[in-house]
Amino acid sequence: MISSVGDGLVATDRDGTILLMNPAAEKMLLQNAKEVIGKNYVETVPAADKEGKIIPGEKRPLLAVLKHGKSFTNHSANYYVRKNGSKFPAAITTSPINYQNSIIGAIITFRDVTHEKEVDRMKTEFISLASHQLRTPLSAISWLVELLQNGDAGQLNRQQLDLLGDIYQSNKRMIQLVSDLLNISRMETGRIIIDPKPTHLGQLLEEVLKELKPKINSKRQKLIISYHPDLSEINIDPNLIRAVYLNLISNAIKFTPEDGEITVIISKKGEEIISQITDSGLGIPKKEQGKIFQKFYRGSNVVKKVFEGTGLGLYLVKSIILASKGKIWFKSQENKGTTFWFSLPISGILPKKGDVTITS
Amino acid sequence: MESKKPTVMVVEDEHLLLKAIERKLRLNNLNVIACDSGTQAIDNLNKKSAPPDAIWLDYYLGDVNGIEFMQKLRQNPKWADIPVLVVSNSANPDKVSKMMALGAKGYLLKADYRLDTLVLEIQSLINTKRQKQNGQ
Repeated sequence: MISSVGDGLVATDRDGTILLMNPAAEKMLLQNAKEVIGKNYVETVPAADKEGKIIPGEKRPLLAVLKHGKSFTNHSANYYVRKNGSKFPAAITTSPINYQNSIIGAIITFRDVTHEKEVDRMKTEFISLASHQLRTPLSAISWLVELLQNGDAGQLNRQQLDLLGDIYQSNKRMIQLVSDLLNISRMETGRIIIDPKPTHLGQLLEEVLKELKPKINSKRQKLIISYHPDLSEINIDPNLIRAVYLNLISNAIKFTPEDGEITVIISKKGEEIISQITDSGLGIPKKEQGKIFQKFYRGSNVVKKVFEGTGLGLYLVKSIILASKGKIWFKSQENKGTTFWFSLPISGILPKKGDVTITS
Repeated sequence: MESKKPTVMVVEDEHLLLKAIERKLRLNNLNVIACDSGTQAIDNLNKKSAPPDAIWLDYYLGDVNGIEFMQKLRQNPKWADIPVLVVSNSANPDKVSKMMALGAKGYLLKADYRLDTLVLEIQSLINTKRQKQNGQ
């Protein structure tokens, strides 16, 4: 039965000595089962990390599994080294064999994930190329319209400028859409880099507000900010959390009428830092409040009045908050306004490897 | 010292973009060498006795990518200190850090910038370089 299993399978005793190796494992590792039985598994089948460096025996999961009895799955982060020295990426699960409450050995199952890795690489490449391809004509439209608007091809009348302004805005929205979709696909495929750095949220907020100031001023909105100057720094990815503030505050500005009020408060509560963004805007209709974090959702009261927006901002915000071990919630009343709160753990988050950031 | 009209080499494989950039730079009183491939750009550099004052470089060029282009550029000491501004729509951290390590002065995302702003960027690179040369 074991010999017909398609995945590689190796059984060891409690000291990590090979008891059995099935034909699939023999084939993948280029080993001969008869020769390896009785030998130490970790020594016979070396493993290498992403950079190709051999992982020392004491760091191999087999030892921990034999000691602690907890199963361990390694999702393709490692390579196995074949008998001839060549390597292949492997997804490996190491499980303890328990008998009468004691660990008597381990079973290691693995498969060659070369193909999956290749598909993954192609997908990454495709997303990157698609973004490039979509953005190129959009940039061309932007720049060409800009030339016309600046009178670089002769002076235009008011009506012509008006229409060009609309083209420019629509195009900008399209650029935003492409960028939001890209960011979402990056979050969803787990390709995003999470690079935590000690960050003072108040300072991060100030940076975002500096960028948004022209918009706030143009609508003569009143902005109230409150945070404790001694707010301790927390270890989060400033690039990602910046996108959260930017999205939530941009929304607040967009949906709050001229001369309206926007409040941002950052405070410490227990083991968390809570950010609160309150607007005095259109609000979210009660019936739709369950949908607001869904992709492409835009409030039915909003679409009639505010033309910019992709319906992707809050979805992205929620993905970022979840990836940052935080929570997000809100309260809203139509025509009164909305308050969003999000929390981030003071203990911070761990870094995650990836190949893209949110702004590329 | 009389400063002559600066020259910018633009390397961009998308003709519409190349046309728009060229037009904008000329309107801002700059000479332009427009190249639609990396090979054309290198050929052009080889032919000219005086290198351009700055290079406006796209990342994906059809024939070579930005990294390959920068490597070629840095091999020739005559070209080594031409300031390069990368203006691309593809900017993962890996590409950006490699290009900056090869000496690019900036890496900007096309879709995020107005032409006006990019022209100011390239002008400031040219000014910095001229000030440095005059100081020596």
